[in-house]
Order: sequence, then structure tokens, then C-alpha cells
Amino acid sequence: MENLEQVFNAIVKNYSERLYWHVRRMVGTHEDADDLLQDIFLKIWTALPSFRGEAQLYTWVWRIATNETLNWLRREKVRAALRFQSVDSEMERRIMADPYFNGTAAQRELFKALARLPEKQRQVFVMRWWDELSYEEISAITGTSVGALKASYHIAKEKLQLNLSQAEVSK
Amino acid sequence: MTKKTGISVPEGYFTQLETRLQSIPHQEVRPTVIQKVSPWLAYAASLAILAALGNFIFGRAAATEEEMGLDYISYLSQSLDPDGQIELMENPTLTEEDDIRSFLIASNISVEQLTELNYEEDY
Repeated sequence: MENLEQVFNAIVKNYSERLYWHVRRMVGTHEDADDLLQDIFLKIWTALPSFRGEAQLYTWVWRIATNETLNWLRREKVRAALRFQSVDSEMERRIMADPYFNGTAAQRELFKALARLPEKQRQVFVMRWWDELSYEEISAITGTSVGALKASYHIAKEKLQLNLSQAEVSK
Repeated sequence: MTKKTGISVPEGYFTQLETRLQSIPHQEVRPTVIQKVSPWLAYAASLAILAALGNFIFGRAAATEEEMGLDYISYLSQSLDPDGQIELMENPTLTEEDDIRSFLIASNISVEQLTELNYEEDY
């Protein structure tokens, strides 16, 4: 048990900050990212005894984080649907209201455009563009082929650029 | 497209986050709704499986018996005349009481044998 706790503490030390930024870019606001990160590490702690070392610890931790984040996004979609709202507009509203966003209007637009991407495309884009993971690393984490990841990334990037240019035109 | 996103965190957030996350192993884990109801779900599921299994076994046995025409006449004829020496008088699928009696008389069955076969009340 003590040994597990040491491993867990090492995971927290090595990955918490990096995972925070990943989650934050995926969900948008600091408050949501903070709540979700707590859930992710709780999951890591409860699953740690079953970690058999088939995957690298790094891949395993990232896999839990990305799966939990996708589940969170899906739950938000359902919650928004139950309130007869679109999840995109709800996330945009939250991003606008986030006190820990102090970027430019263009950066806010980028975040809003990111929130409009399908979850999987958003995930691939965030992991490649901001987390700077290689396609091979993303493939090991998500279980998606490198070819499919490259296609998703390029589609996501094109959509973002289109959204940003449309936002620029509408000003 | 810029990599800068303009997002920030409260001051000292990551130090505080690390301390908070490292306290997880000492927190009491509250069972989720699923964890609370799962023993009951397992109980209900096992009952359902037993019921389905029972229905499958007994339903199948009844169906097989019906399909094969193993009614009590066939059973009796097999018990009393395993070699098939006694011909059924009319139809091999006798159902009428008179036919049954005729068949039993022709088979020379004794009352004792009938008692064993629980057909005593007819005689």
C-alpha cells in the first residue's frame, strides 16, 4: 500500500500539471478542468493496483485522463440536451465567463472554435498541437492508427482555421 | 494560428493541486450509486438467469416430449410391449379411453402392473 502511494505521488508530481493543461484545453474553463482532474487522479489511484505494466505508465496515465475527459464531454452533451441547449453554446458561454481567461479576442475565438469540434478531433488536435505528443504516442494512448490520427488532425486544423477566418470576417 | 491560448490559473495553483491530489489515497472513497445498487442488481440478474434457465430446460423437455409423441399411450406400450408384438388396434396415436382399455386388455396387463404404473383408478 505504501509502495502504491509512492507510485501515485510520483504520478501526481510528474503528470498533474501537464494533464491539467490538456484537460483545460479540452473542457475550456479552469473550474471544470480542476474538478475533472480530481476525478482523473481518483480513477488513477483506484486503478493503480490493477496496473500490470503491459503499457508504459506514461501511456496508461494518459489513457485514463483522455478517456475520462471524453466521458466528461459526452456527459456534458447529454446534460445540455436535457436542458434543450446545444453543448457548443453552453461551452462558449462558460469560456466567456471564465475568470482565468485573459487572452486576446482572437485567442478566445480559437477556444470557442475548439469547443465546436467533435470530441475526438478536438482530442487529437489538443494532443498534437498543444501537448506536442507524437502521432505514435497519441496512437498508443488512444488506440487509433497513426493514419487515422493524421487525417483527424488535418481536418480539425482546417475546421479551426475556417472558423477563425469566418469570425474575423464577421467582425 | 497561435499556440498561445491566453488561459491561466490562480496563483500557486499547481503547488496546491499537487498537495490536494496527493491526499487522495487518504480520502474515504464514497461508493457511487452503481456501486451501491450493484449487489441488488447482481441478485436480480441471477434470479432472472435462473428463471430463464428453468424455462429453457423445462420448456424444452415439454416440447421434446410433444414433438416425439411420447404421450402416456406410447409410454405404456413401450413398458408393456417392448418388442412391439401387440399391434395397436386402430391408430398408433390412441387417445380415446375405449382404445386405451382395449389396448390394455390385449396386452394382458395385470392389476398389479397397472398399480405400479398409477393407472389403478381406471380398474
